[in-house]
This record gives sequence, C-alpha cells and structure tokens, in this order.
Amino acid sequence: MRADRIFCDLPTLALQAFESIKYATAYPKGAVLFVEGQAPRGIFVLCKGRVKLSICATDGKTLILKIAEPGEVLGLSATVSGKPYELTAETIDPCQVNFVKREDFLRFLRDHADACFKVAEQLSDKYNNACHEVRSLGLSHSAGEKLARLLLEWSSKNGEAAKQEPRLKLALTHEEIAQMIGTSRETVTRLFADLKKRQIVQAKGSTLVIRNKIALRSMATSG
Amino acid sequence: METAMTQSCRDCALRSDRLFCDLPADTLAAFDEVKNSAPVTRGTLLFREGQPARGVFVLCEGRVRVSVCSESGKRLTLRTAGPGEVMGLSAALSGTPHEVTAEAIDNCQVAMVKRKDLLRFLREHREACLQVVNLLSQDLHVAYDRVRSVGLGRSRRPRMMSA
Repeated sequence: MRADRIFCDLPTLALQAFESIKYATAYPKGAVLFVEGQAPRGIFVLCKGRVKLSICATDGKTLILKIAEPGEVLGLSATVSGKPYELTAETIDPCQVNFVKREDFLRFLRDHADACFKVAEQLSDKYNNACHEVRSLGLSHSAGEKLARLLLEWSSKNGEAAKQEPRLKLALTHEEIAQMIGTSRETVTRLFADLKKRQIVQAKGSTLVIRNKIALRSMATSG
Repeated sequence: METAMTQSCRDCALRSDRLFCDLPADTLAAFDEVKNSAPVTRGTLLFREGQPARGVFVLCEGRVRVSVCSESGKRLTLRTAGPGEVMGLSAALSGTPHEVTAEAIDNCQVAMVKRKDLLRFLREHREACLQVVNLLSQDLHVAYDRVRSVGLGRSRRPRMMSA
C-alpha cells in the first residue's frame, strides 16, 4: 500500500513523526471534509475511497475540478499558505482519512525535508491539473469536445489505454459529469445518446466501452 | 535604481523582498553554484507548453506572462509573474512537460537552474524546499481563481435586463 503514496513511503523517522500527529478518521459517503472559503484547519490525507473536489459560484452553480484518489493530500495549498480553502471536498465513497492539524503539519514540514519535497511534488501535480482545467474550460470549443477529452482521460487509466476498445467505470452521474465540463445535465445526456447512436461508445451497466477510439479522439481535438 | 543584476545572490540588495530569494546565506551560496544568470530580451519564450521540463528560471528582473494555448492558437493568460518568482517549477518537480507557456514581456534577467541540479538543491536545502512549497501554494491559489473565473465567470456576471 505504501509505494507511490505521498507520506506513505517516507523514511521511518519521518513516518513515525507523521504517525504521531495524524488523526485517523472514517467518513461515510457524502461527508463534507471542508468547504470553500473556510479558514484552513489542516490537511486530509486520503487513504481509502474517493473525494469530489469542487468550486462553487455565488448562484450555486458547481464545477467539479477533480475526483481525488487514495494517496492524495487535500487542503494542502490552503494549509500551507493560511488562506481559506479554495475548494469543497466531499466524499463519494465511504472514506478513510488521516487528518493533520495545520500547526502540526507546518512543523512536520520544517523538520522533515523528505516530506517537504513530497509536498512540493504534490503541489506541482495539483498546479498542472489546475492549468489543464483552465485550458479545457477556457479554450475548448464545445461540450462535445470536453466530454470526449474526459472519456479519453478516464479510459487511459488502469492500463486500458493500450486496448483496442478501452473500458471505463462511470462512477459519476450525468449531473456530475456536466459539472466537470461546465455544461448542463441535459447536454451530457444528449451527447451520450449521440455517442451511442454513432456507435462510438457502448454502455454495459455502469461500464462504458469505447468502441471507436479514433472517432472519439478526433472529437477531442476538434478545437 | 537598485538592480538584481549582481552575480551572486548573496550580494543582491533586493533579495529580502523577494519570494524565492529570501534564504539563509549558505543556501544562497549553494544556489549560486547551480545557477546560470542570463539576460532575456522582451518577447522571448522561456518555455512553451508541451516541451519537456529542462529546468527552472528564477526571475530576477522584469515580468513574464504565463499563459495556456489551444490547438487553434487561442491564448488565455493565467497570470503575470514578477521578480522573485520561479518559472517552470511544477513541470520540473513532477517531471512532466510544461503545462503553460512563459513569455518575457519586459527585458528580463533570470537565473537558470537545470532540473537535475534543482532537485538535488531542494533535497539538500530544507529552507529552499519550504520556499518552493510556499511558492507553489500561491501559484495554485491563482490558478484556482482562474478556474473559477473561466469556468463559472458567466454565471457570476449579473444578467443584463433583456426586456
């Protein structure tokens, strides 16, 4: 379990220090870890389950930035900078989380160079992801293009990318997918119906089979 | 006018005001060892999105525009960076191609550090690593603000009276 996960593959000394400041907590599905705009209390290291990260407009419109997977640290930049949480984090599975208080975490970073380096790496990934998001939201032309990109991205995980007809598990509702690409639920439903009609994708329960990768790719790069 | 053109970071009069540069003397001495100072003329691209990350550029003087670009050439500015900021940090740390394009919009002075040297420097100098964590957190805040304004901007603008 430890490999590849931030903080989980630290040297023993740092790991022991981390053990002493963390609070292991279990959350049910649908629990809110923190809300955008709140003062940062600390970081949440996701050990098990997935968490939806979103930002909200004043009129209540929501944009999902990412579905965080185990190993990711949530609330990191706010905890480091002391600025309010930038995002809202809500569990979409029953989750296991290690919480670390802000003061403890800042001291831990100062004392353990390895951990500090890991945090820098993780912040870099988050930054890359945010830039990617700005590009996709700001410069893509159509909702169809964005949906095609999203499906290709999801299908590139778990070694499915190399397959002729990659499969992916649709863990999100049409509403949530709409919030990921900044469009309406109706548009997503219409786009899926169209993709199925053109035999580009095929649904088998909650599994989606991409039957025509080339067509999907050309949709994704039409911008 | 004071400038940040001095060869050694330790002698730079401006470093205490600058994000990355406010470091202990021994850390700065080590940084002097790995950096290469160079002038950059206005309009020069420090790097372009999609390019592999070869290293970082610490901005000593001048401003740099950080932007993203679509395949059709449409450009969206993420932010304008000023002295003391580090360009190309996230790509260098994660070892992925640059997600953004950085273009000098003034005549700039930069300190270049190769990726390999940077990684070693950060591992050996905790203060610098903490500084980098702070810088990245700030960059991330700005990027999230951009996501918010680009992704939700339309819904935030008050609706115009249609009748």
